[in-house]
Amino acid sequence: MSVADATVPSAREIAPVASKTRRWLRRYGLPALGAAVIVAWIIVAIAAPLLSPYSPATVDVTARLRPPSSLHWLGTDVLGRDVFTRLIYGARISLTTGIVVVLVGAIIGTLIGGIAAFARGRVEELIMRLTDLVLCFPPIILAMAIAAALGIGTTNTIIAMLVVWWPKFARLARSLVLVQRSQEYVEAAVVMGLSPARILLRHVMPNSIGPLIVLVTLDVGNAIITFAGLSFLGLGVIPPTPEWGSMVSEGRELIEQWWVAAFPGFAILTVVLGFNFLGDGIRDWLDPRSRRR
Amino acid sequence: MTDRLGWIDRRRLVQLLGAGGGAIAAGLPAQVFAQARKNTLVLGIDISDTITLDPARLAQYTSPMTVSAAYDSLVTMKPGEYINVAPSLATKWARTPDGKGWRFTLRDGVKFSTGNVMTVEDVKWSFDRVINLGDQPSQYIAHVDRVEIVDKSTIDIILKQPAEPLLTIIAAPEFVVLERKVAEANGATAAKDAKTADKAAAWINSNSCGTGAYRIAAWERNQQIQLVRNEHYWGGKPPFERIVIRHISDGAAQLLAVRRGDIDAAFNLIPEQIAALKTEPNVRLAPLASLDFVYMALTQEPEFNKALAVKEARQAIGYAIDYDGIVKSMLGGAALRPAHYLPIGVSGSTEEIARQIGFKQDLAKAKELLAKAGFPNGFEFEIIYGNAAVQGVTYQDLGLKIQSDVARVGIKANLRPVDQVNLRTEYTTGKAKGGVLTFWNPPAVENQLWAAAVVQRVAKRVHWDPPENIVKLVSQAATETDAKKQHDLWVEWQKLVVDQANHFVLFQPVYQIAVRNTIKDFPLTAAGWMLDLHGVTPAGG
Amino acid sequence: MPRYILSRLALAFVMALLATLVIFLLANTVPGDPVLAQLGDLAASNKEFVAEWRAKWGLDLPLWQRYVIFLQRLFQGDLGISISSQRPVLQDIRDFAPATLELASIAFLLALAVGIPLGIMAAVRRDSWIDHLARLISLIGVSSPTFWLAFIMLAFFYGGLQIAPGPGRIDAIALPPPSVTGLYLIDSALAGDWATFHDAAAHLILPSIVLAAATLGLITRTTRASMLESMQQDYVRVARAKGIRERRIVIGHILPNALIPVVTLGGLAYANLLTGAVLTETIFSWPGLGRYTFRSAVSLDFPAIMGITLIVAVVYLIINLLIDISYALLDPRVVR
Repeated sequence: MSVADATVPSAREIAPVASKTRRWLRRYGLPALGAAVIVAWIIVAIAAPLLSPYSPATVDVTARLRPPSSLHWLGTDVLGRDVFTRLIYGARISLTTGIVVVLVGAIIGTLIGGIAAFARGRVEELIMRLTDLVLCFPPIILAMAIAAALGIGTTNTIIAMLVVWWPKFARLARSLVLVQRSQEYVEAAVVMGLSPARILLRHVMPNSIGPLIVLVTLDVGNAIITFAGLSFLGLGVIPPTPEWGSMVSEGRELIEQWWVAAFPGFAILTVVLGFNFLGDGIRDWLDPRSRRR
Repeated sequence: MTDRLGWIDRRRLVQLLGAGGGAIAAGLPAQVFAQARKNTLVLGIDISDTITLDPARLAQYTSPMTVSAAYDSLVTMKPGEYINVAPSLATKWARTPDGKGWRFTLRDGVKFSTGNVMTVEDVKWSFDRVINLGDQPSQYIAHVDRVEIVDKSTIDIILKQPAEPLLTIIAAPEFVVLERKVAEANGATAAKDAKTADKAAAWINSNSCGTGAYRIAAWERNQQIQLVRNEHYWGGKPPFERIVIRHISDGAAQLLAVRRGDIDAAFNLIPEQIAALKTEPNVRLAPLASLDFVYMALTQEPEFNKALAVKEARQAIGYAIDYDGIVKSMLGGAALRPAHYLPIGVSGSTEEIARQIGFKQDLAKAKELLAKAGFPNGFEFEIIYGNAAVQGVTYQDLGLKIQSDVARVGIKANLRPVDQVNLRTEYTTGKAKGGVLTFWNPPAVENQLWAAAVVQRVAKRVHWDPPENIVKLVSQAATETDAKKQHDLWVEWQKLVVDQANHFVLFQPVYQIAVRNTIKDFPLTAAGWMLDLHGVTPAGG
Repeated sequence: MPRYILSRLALAFVMALLATLVIFLLANTVPGDPVLAQLGDLAASNKEFVAEWRAKWGLDLPLWQRYVIFLQRLFQGDLGISISSQRPVLQDIRDFAPATLELASIAFLLALAVGIPLGIMAAVRRDSWIDHLARLISLIGVSSPTFWLAFIMLAFFYGGLQIAPGPGRIDAIALPPPSVTGLYLIDSALAGDWATFHDAAAHLILPSIVLAAATLGLITRTTRASMLESMQQDYVRVARAKGIRERRIVIGHILPNALIPVVTLGGLAYANLLTGAVLTETIFSWPGLGRYTFRSAVSLDFPAIMGITLIVAVVYLIINLLIDISYALLDPRVVR
């Protein structure tokens, strides 16, 4: 696109606004929408107390299971708590845990993977077998076992998730570094006697950060879903902390009072979709092959 | 879905009758299918906890129903009467002449499902097996010294502590009579080394050798238990040819099945599903006023929590909880609430008494007590609970309700969900640092079993060292023979333990069983086996 | 090749054992006593009785000894007795595994049947409405929490419209077909019981759609990306220059190459479906391994936990091995 556009500037000027908008939308529409959804949720999470007259923990059993109304926009749950209020407060936990797990997991994983790629030999072998070992547990089973061992609670669940989260970053980082390592400029740096840490941080990392960013963005959604899933099984947050997964769990038998489970689940869908739209956009944008349009 | 034939479609009938019956059924006209369905009682219930059908190893919640249909004990309990036992395999009983035990006169002409006559040896052997197997049921008759045959229709049970209650305990389906010959032929033994030598578990889990109205024909785990009519039953011809206890774990599926008529009764409906049935013309709700209850135990160990060590502070919690909100709103009114560990319906416990002596919400009084305890601004404590529900209400919801109730007087309750294993470990070993939300379902209907627990093992768990007078009162009440005096003693005892404020009973469930109107009698019982299966009858002949 | 497979198998077995060791040590850090949860109140307070029950499961032995016993038994093909169901773990697994296998396989086939054609069309008609639709479907599939999707499906098609059957593998009152494989579809077909076949198939629809959702997204995306990549290859340009019809180019030249990454990813996705159906099984009351695993984990049922870990790890590693082998077969360059 860029070449054609540069040589024929006039075509761009004549093009009607509508088609320009359409082109922009086609290219940036979904990622922009994704970013907007995420930003909106972050604002909602921060401004939660301003958005609702209720407290997320107020129990009123005389007002239980009320359908959505002007008083309770999304109805009330089995304890008469306002679903809308719990939903917007719930954004805090879901966003924070998702981002924390992925960022910390990415940092730990990247470091370990980078070390493996640079150290080679036995260390690399050991680290890679370790990632194999972690990957051969289904994540939810291992996380369940760890949550059971550490006890239930947000921090413990995050720890449990981290244990299963770092290997994929380690693998990606290792393969990226291996590619870069064989590049001439790295070999030159080695010849010049720069320390491996310096090469890794100053030269290799910046050149392989793209795919990592894509994986991180796409993975936040994944982490949010996993955390909600553990919460759904009763291994996530401590009540009365409002959390989307546990809200769905509380309403899962109430098919006629569908609002208890339906809305929090939909909230998960929107925020995860937001991260996936954004991540998908970043991938297209960074990937040289898909840039050739 | 498929061709429907009267009550039930062909496929289902074939399945109900089993593979053999199916071949015959395939060629029969529609009316016959309807008749076959009519002769079969199908119950929909979650039986995932049934892990054994061996009476001497019985421990779980749903298995007693099956066992009590296949076997009989010496004495039994009629639905609604949980103070005095009724005759079953024994027609008469009295203290032994020396006063050290009980003497039972056996019913004449009782036959096992094999057609053989029950003898006094079968009775002794069955009791010996319970004792020598040393599994959980043996714990409840630990005070039995020995079982002695007097003559061919009389047997004595001699006690180590003669004053301790026996009749109400042996009415439970753990203490039933097995046909010795059949049981031994299938690996059972009652010898001293039964613990290791008894190999009958596999056989006894899918067959039975009792005198009950029905005989166990098959048990497929997490699928169904099949019972067939015992043609030799001493109590008259049982009305159903076959009983199928279908495992349906999901309340919504039970609801649908009972509406369609696929099952005759649904046992595990949550309050919302029950509400949906109120307008259903073909289904009625049968209340089962159980003797179970859900309660919160509160430690008084000062090392765990300084505030909880003060009686007035614990009482403040008792006065802060909104019991009516729990019973009326959360359970839709389908529950009772006793004052303490004696459920409504047994000696010394009625709703009236509970109202008089039990806790009720009184926030002013709670605040007053807090000030008296030296915590005018409240205090913090922890509540642990497992991931489970009783009558559709989860412990978590109860915890949240209590948390919000006590917050109104300034007390902060921190909830800590744990798995069932840690819950039991912390509670039974006295490591729980605050409150424990849990459930009590006694293996047999006997006040003494509950009351003794409160002053013995349950007292230890909450680090309470009960004073002599309260401990004495338990044995005094348990051994009192005059009903009125006994009643008063139990009331007196409850007053004392309510004041002690280590246990708050939240509710005693009245389970709502959905029963189709094709069933006439459906004698639900609180005695521990839920339903007198032998007494279930179809409507209209 | 055979030597490679053998050494990989040996390595897989060692890894699986290591996995059980990890789980064993982890589960033993939990302070709770599994026996107490199985005993009635009176028995649980009787110290001697508790000690006796602990001894029954060897819980009184030192850690290392218990693991050695586990290994010894394992080599005799015995996984021990489950504490909560009180019968052999192997028998429990044999009962629960077919339910999961059936559900996961149907879901996987569904994801392949929809995902691959969708991915191909999206790549061939790049930037057309079908490409955008495919992208949207796959992103929504990946982004939906399974437990919520399951609830919505049940509430809508079963509770609301009442056109789908409820939870469970077959009708609440029906009995399963005589067990041969444990897979109801196959067993009922073998028995010629088409009513049950129909019933079992109907019960599979909702849960398999739910379980397939995330995998479908993954397969569609991978197929599309990999097709696009192959389309850029020189031999495709040559073929085009020769004037071979586009349809033949896509099916004959591009697709075979493009499917290699799909095989890899599909295999891993299948392994995940087999082992990660806990949530779907919970909502659909599906009597599978996922729920059994969950129940065993929360009741600290050591023998069951170890048995499941071992089997899951072996399945996972074998699928990984199969992926590598098929990779070698599909792409001659990877031969070692």
